[in-house]
Amino acid sequence: MKALQRRTLLTATAVLATVGLAVTALPAQAAEVGVTASQIKLGMTLPMTGTASLGYNKIPGAAKAYFDYLNANGGINGRKITLVVKDDRYVPTEAVAKTNELILKDKVMALLAPLGTANVKAVATSVNPARRGVPVLFVNTGFSGFADTKKYPTTYTVLPSYIMEAKIMGEYIKENFAGKKIGLLYQDDDFGIDALAGFKTAGVNFAVKVPYASGSQSAASAAGWITKFKAAEADVVILFGVSSATSAMLGTAAQLGYKPQWMLGSVGGDATTIKLTGVPAGVLYNAIGFSPVPATTDMTDEYVKFFSDIYAKAVPGSAFDLNVLLGMNTAFMTAQALKAAGPNPTRKSLMAAIDSKGATFASSALVPAGYSKTSHVGLTGYWVGKYAPTGDLAPIGGTYVTYTTDSGSGPVVKSTYKRPAMPAKGLPN
Amino acid sequence: MKKVRLLSLLSVTALVTTVLVTAPTVANAAPACDGKSPIQSCVGVTSDGAPYAMQVPANFNGTVALYSHGYRYNVDIPAGIPLIGGYKITNTPEPVPGGNAAVAQYFFSQGIAIVGSGFARQGWNPDSAIKTNVELIGTFKAQFPTTTKVIAWGSSLGGVITQGLAEKYPELVSAVAPMCMADNLAPQLTMAGDFLWGVKVLFDPTIKGGNYSPGAAGVAESYGDLVKVFTVMGKLQAALATGAWPDTSSATGKALAAAGVPSRSALLLLGLMAGIPTQSAHFDSVSGPEGALKLTFPLALSPALAILENGTNAAALAVLATQDVENQVGGAFFDNTKTDYSARVDGERVIFNAALSGNTVIDALLGALSAANPGAPRAVANPAAVAKMQALHTNTGKINVPTILMVGMADPITPAGASQRVVDLYADQYAAEKAAAIKAYQTSRSYKTPTNKLLMLWNTTPSSYTKFDAAGSPITSVPAAQGTNHCNFTSAQLVLVAKSLVAASSTGKLPSGGALNTAVRKAGNLSVDKGIRAPWLKSYGDNS
Repeated sequence: MKALQRRTLLTATAVLATVGLAVTALPAQAAEVGVTASQIKLGMTLPMTGTASLGYNKIPGAAKAYFDYLNANGGINGRKITLVVKDDRYVPTEAVAKTNELILKDKVMALLAPLGTANVKAVATSVNPARRGVPVLFVNTGFSGFADTKKYPTTYTVLPSYIMEAKIMGEYIKENFAGKKIGLLYQDDDFGIDALAGFKTAGVNFAVKVPYASGSQSAASAAGWITKFKAAEADVVILFGVSSATSAMLGTAAQLGYKPQWMLGSVGGDATTIKLTGVPAGVLYNAIGFSPVPATTDMTDEYVKFFSDIYAKAVPGSAFDLNVLLGMNTAFMTAQALKAAGPNPTRKSLMAAIDSKGATFASSALVPAGYSKTSHVGLTGYWVGKYAPTGDLAPIGGTYVTYTTDSGSGPVVKSTYKRPAMPAKGLPN
Repeated sequence: MKKVRLLSLLSVTALVTTVLVTAPTVANAAPACDGKSPIQSCVGVTSDGAPYAMQVPANFNGTVALYSHGYRYNVDIPAGIPLIGGYKITNTPEPVPGGNAAVAQYFFSQGIAIVGSGFARQGWNPDSAIKTNVELIGTFKAQFPTTTKVIAWGSSLGGVITQGLAEKYPELVSAVAPMCMADNLAPQLTMAGDFLWGVKVLFDPTIKGGNYSPGAAGVAESYGDLVKVFTVMGKLQAALATGAWPDTSSATGKALAAAGVPSRSALLLLGLMAGIPTQSAHFDSVSGPEGALKLTFPLALSPALAILENGTNAAALAVLATQDVENQVGGAFFDNTKTDYSARVDGERVIFNAALSGNTVIDALLGALSAANPGAPRAVANPAAVAKMQALHTNTGKINVPTILMVGMADPITPAGASQRVVDLYADQYAAEKAAAIKAYQTSRSYKTPTNKLLMLWNTTPSSYTKFDAAGSPITSVPAAQGTNHCNFTSAQLVLVAKSLVAASSTGKLPSGGALNTAVRKAGNLSVDKGIRAPWLKSYGDNS
């Protein structure tokens, strides 16, 4: 029915154009919601408090640090970026309420980097930013479904999909742990469904798969998970969950002396976050991890050095970690999108800019992005690393070897991607 | 978590609306008027036996507001039945919503008369009620020949009647306002049937849930169902934190219990399958008490509590309306032999994944409820009864006159999606009218933009509203939150609708722009935001 409606409107519009009818004088184009002569307002919902907030609650501060830097250097065509942040506590229904506030009360131009598969899906269903024409930029979830431009026409992913990650993990397992018993801990929702699909495509056979319901993760539940992995004699245990699940598992494992070969998914693999929960750095040592952006300790990388310097000045004393780097990188890409959207950016021109130029935006990522007029796929791969004795993730052998793939049945291949150099002063051209 | 004293606090007042005026019971050709001033009252009975009441101010300006009340049970309810026991069938006239004095006063202050009947029969009655209203309009005009305009409005089933009146007799009304409007009979009672069927096959297989015997025996069976459904709800409430299953559960339910499926997750899934809102009078599915349950309460418990509160609130109507309509059409009409309940919850299973206890539990529940499970036998309709039901009045959704819709976003009985459907249908209608206007221009060289004839007022829920006591238990003794419960409108909101009707009848145009926005803001908890969207009732499929 909606399609019919759209067709009818298009037909009517076409007829009007054909007959050259001046029905009424068109009003001057109204300024875009959230855009004034001096400001562009963006909105973000994510868990700032509660058990799921750990680590992720640094993302807004990181994004603001970059936006403050940008604003101090002229903003976007003279407009300063304002970021309104609301705490959804990782509760989907609360994400709906807070997003409604951002759109209806705060009048933001676009939603930026909302976090969590369930939350983004709840907002898409209940708030319906697509119907409102509100861009949902660079969502902090790797659920592959959000790249469906028919279902989520205003949503743009940025993280590689969980399917891609699982496929790349699977490839690594086949090359390095052939014949070993593999165990998998995964979130029992769409996050986990993506992971299972990726591992299936990669041909990974598990000795044991342990699902956990979102929100149920705790030290007590982790003890139960360990019992299952031990019973299956798993040599390698993949933790494909959120940070609080990873931390609960590693912390409990340390207490129980359980020491399989750990493999950590990127969502729950930030070392700083894990260590903040009291997990000793040594527990992470030699665990295998994956990341689309450089190691956060790699100050030879121009992006890492640039973002790290800005963050240190903006938020003194706060560790520069994966969540911070991803948050700043998202802000950096957003700035480029706004700049590319023209002197008077609109919601439509913003999305058109990402469609046409997003794949060429400068970014710290070591893998390419897949944006085009027909694709809202963000980054498309990972490099593989091991956690050092300090708990920091570093590339195996000291060199980044990146792998790229898709969310379908495409192969996992080594990437030949050449990352664009950072623009002057880290400002959009 | 402390036991929530929920059932005793549920409100059913919105179902059985209060009344305003007593009236004679013998049909009269003309109303009997008291001739008083400043308000003259008249009463009478239409040819089909519907009592009516008219109240006409001395400064009558020629406009009359015709109100249609909502669903009233068509059977007396024995005193022993929880929540609704003691109800007696009534057809007392109701010329303004619930006898609301502020609304009546507003109309009188404008020189506008009010009129309403109690209808000839209760239960599902649009066919007869629309005829009653047509006759009543004629009777009023005959009694007060200076009448120039009729505005019509109604609540719940009265919304269906009002919309039906405007569809069939647009020449009789100049503006209408179906409020908290029910959907058509089939989708509305499919929602009821889905929930009752789920409660039956999981929690108490002795519940009939439909296919009641004819006549008095069927009424008695429906009484039995009411007691059983309320008892199950009480047991689910008591075990909400532990997830234990009622001792009356079916073999299928007991197997799920043995597999570790919490009963609250099963209840939530039934609510989602049926399309019951996950926000209720006291549970917002957002808030949690300070302490250990701060996050767990909204994630895992509150949505199930909302379904419990809403489901209990809707259960009486579901049972009694099913019995009433079956009696009218001669047999069972609910049929879920082909219903795909997995598809029904496809969009929501990720949103409420934690409260549903994860995909493994969801899949176990959906497997248990699938048509393939003989332990959850599907309901089969009587084809002749279905045919008769389809012959009952059905609204098309066509908008003929300026129309104002108002509904609570979390109305558990007449979901907001019923109004959304009309909004969507009107979008198509308007586009077609515009295309026709453009086509006409090509020959006449005169173009006139079609006038918008629909105003949608969403009664929104607050961002958060669940209250907790010092011990962390939810408080259910406070008034229901705005946007929740059935037809839960304030006087200010009703007066806004009344004012908008009067303006539209006067000018032919609905209020819009800054004036409308100001009025909406002053009325409180309303929104005209076109971005708001409510899902259609579940039996329509995915129309999000």
